[in-house]
Amino acid sequence: MDGFKKRLGESVQLRLSLALSSAILIIAVVAGVFAYVSAFDEAHDMQDDTLRQMAELFDRQHMTLQYPENGPEEDDESRIILQYLADGSKASGLDDAGTPLPFPTTLADGLSTVPIAGEAFRVLVKTTARGERIAVAQETGARDKDARASALRSVLPFLILLPVLLLVVGDLVRKVFRPIATLSSEIDRRDEQELHPIDEHHLPVEIRPFVVAINRLLHRVAQSMESQRRFVADAAHELRSPMTALSLQAERLAAADMSAPARERLEPLRRGIERSRNLIDQLLTLARVQSASGPAGATSVSVHDTYRRVLEDLMPLAELKQLDIGMDVGADVRVVMGDADLLTLVKNLVDNAIRYTPPGGRVDLSVTLENGAALLQVRDTGPGISSEERERVFDPFYRSLGNQASGSGLGLSIVKAIAERTGARIRLGFSDEQEQRGLCVSLWLAVSLPI
Amino acid sequence: MRILLVEDDPMIGEAIQGALKDASYTPDWVQNGLVALTALQAQHYDLVLLDLGLPGKDGLEVLSSIRGQNNPVPLLIITARDNLEDRLRGLDDGADDYLLKPFEMAELLARMRAVLRRHGGNASSRLDNGVVSLDLVSKEASTKDHPGVLLSSREFALLQALLIRPGAILSRSELEDRLYGWGNEVESNAVEFLIHGLRRKLGSHVIKNVRGMGWMVSKSA
Repeated sequence: MDGFKKRLGESVQLRLSLALSSAILIIAVVAGVFAYVSAFDEAHDMQDDTLRQMAELFDRQHMTLQYPENGPEEDDESRIILQYLADGSKASGLDDAGTPLPFPTTLADGLSTVPIAGEAFRVLVKTTARGERIAVAQETGARDKDARASALRSVLPFLILLPVLLLVVGDLVRKVFRPIATLSSEIDRRDEQELHPIDEHHLPVEIRPFVVAINRLLHRVAQSMESQRRFVADAAHELRSPMTALSLQAERLAAADMSAPARERLEPLRRGIERSRNLIDQLLTLARVQSASGPAGATSVSVHDTYRRVLEDLMPLAELKQLDIGMDVGADVRVVMGDADLLTLVKNLVDNAIRYTPPGGRVDLSVTLENGAALLQVRDTGPGISSEERERVFDPFYRSLGNQASGSGLGLSIVKAIAERTGARIRLGFSDEQEQRGLCVSLWLAVSLPI
Repeated sequence: MRILLVEDDPMIGEAIQGALKDASYTPDWVQNGLVALTALQAQHYDLVLLDLGLPGKDGLEVLSSIRGQNNPVPLLIITARDNLEDRLRGLDDGADDYLLKPFEMAELLARMRAVLRRHGGNASSRLDNGVVSLDLVSKEASTKDHPGVLLSSREFALLQALLIRPGAILSRSELEDRLYGWGNEVESNAVEFLIHGLRRKLGSHVIKNVRGMGWMVSKSA
């Protein structure tokens, strides 16, 4: 019940439906009662008229009464009794065929309701032109029954139309609120990069100011995100110059004459500088792929060519660790993507594979067609990523526990940013599902059709 | 050899200047574009190292001024700008090479040598990647352990193809194209056979196989 109250407080649509429904219900009940009462009265008036007309008819035609010998044969409930008023005094009592009825002779001319032996009768007493007093009577029970039936018939349309009206109102309210529902689902479907303003032209005037305000907020958010991104890019860019100077000086230092212990200490220093350089590069790449919008410069790119360029770049690293790195035999596939995007994507995946695979391990690249999409896979014989960690490894600077590899921690974030922007699907798995070892990254890209 | 270094960042300028001196070049270091143009008019330089983000006159403007004066001096851009447009514009406007910061001095020196070699016109008679060197005249290959190994003409052609761009992976069909002219029947396994021979003569580490892709020689260390 509390839940319903809460919803009522929150939902204008529910409130509106409920208010309209109750109003309709109350009005329908009042109108129904009124119609019932007036139809009931109307029926009584008509029955009174019937009594009058009969008395009038009897009088005009100068008829004489003869009581039937065997009493009434049919349904006596609704019958109309016509008798001389004076005859009533001769009647002994009331049996079923008890005619004439024992009306008191003192009844005045006109309509009245007279109880006779526990049953009420509506009686019209009239003095005819010949001076006889006649009584036209009918049982009130029967009269009421008829009146109720006719009153109910007049209320019946209300009873039938009420639920229909309620349904129609509910439906109308839903329809009126549909633009809002459409709007919210449209906003819901957006990802965090889609900060373009909401189209307010097809919306009702009442919610337009609200949407305009939201658009302004979206604009401000987009601006602040943009300036943050620019800050990261600028900061990384600014760091490049001192880093370059630092690494050049360290390189020169290595060429200089120095004692053995000094040389020993220089090596970690240079490794540290190398690592910072790498980090700055990756930060810049991430800032760049995040700030680009849409599948920038998408063309038809050969996956084999991209693999080759990446391996040419990374072969020295792989040789250092004596990795067996290579590509599965198969036909080349061309995919729709920006040249630089695909290169950055594959390079980061292969770089990761090389970093996390122990010396002497193996890295395999492959591309195949699967259900009309290009499936690119990079498999290694490293430790792999457990299924619990698979979501988190895409976060910047996330590192698997107990990992000694010296990556920037940004590789997979870059991959994800590019994949999201270009609509590529990505999945992490084990290269060896049974042993739960080795990372296998699968990427599904749109195939470029031959022209 | 006289080098003009145009670099506004004092730390980088100092480091490059020092390293150039270590490598027996004679560097002059200026920190803005206008001074660089003046220096180029007053003095002959064998090579210019040009940063793009300069105060006063931007590096790309300096470059077009130099080329506008029909000065053919070899020029290498060193910059932190990594977008493709700047890179293409630099090369279109007449730069001989484009090196992205941060770089290693060894790489800069290698690129400088390559640019100077191209400009000198006298293509070196040797190809070298630090592991194996190939004498283009005598067709002899040398490694540390196997000096002066005479190669067959096919072996020579194959090793030459690989040594032109050390680090590049050449596929079997690309190597076959280099080995056989038009209309020549390509024997199957010819490439494998030649590589096997080269490895036997020079040591197996000289030519590396990249599974599924092709062969390469290591990039200069």
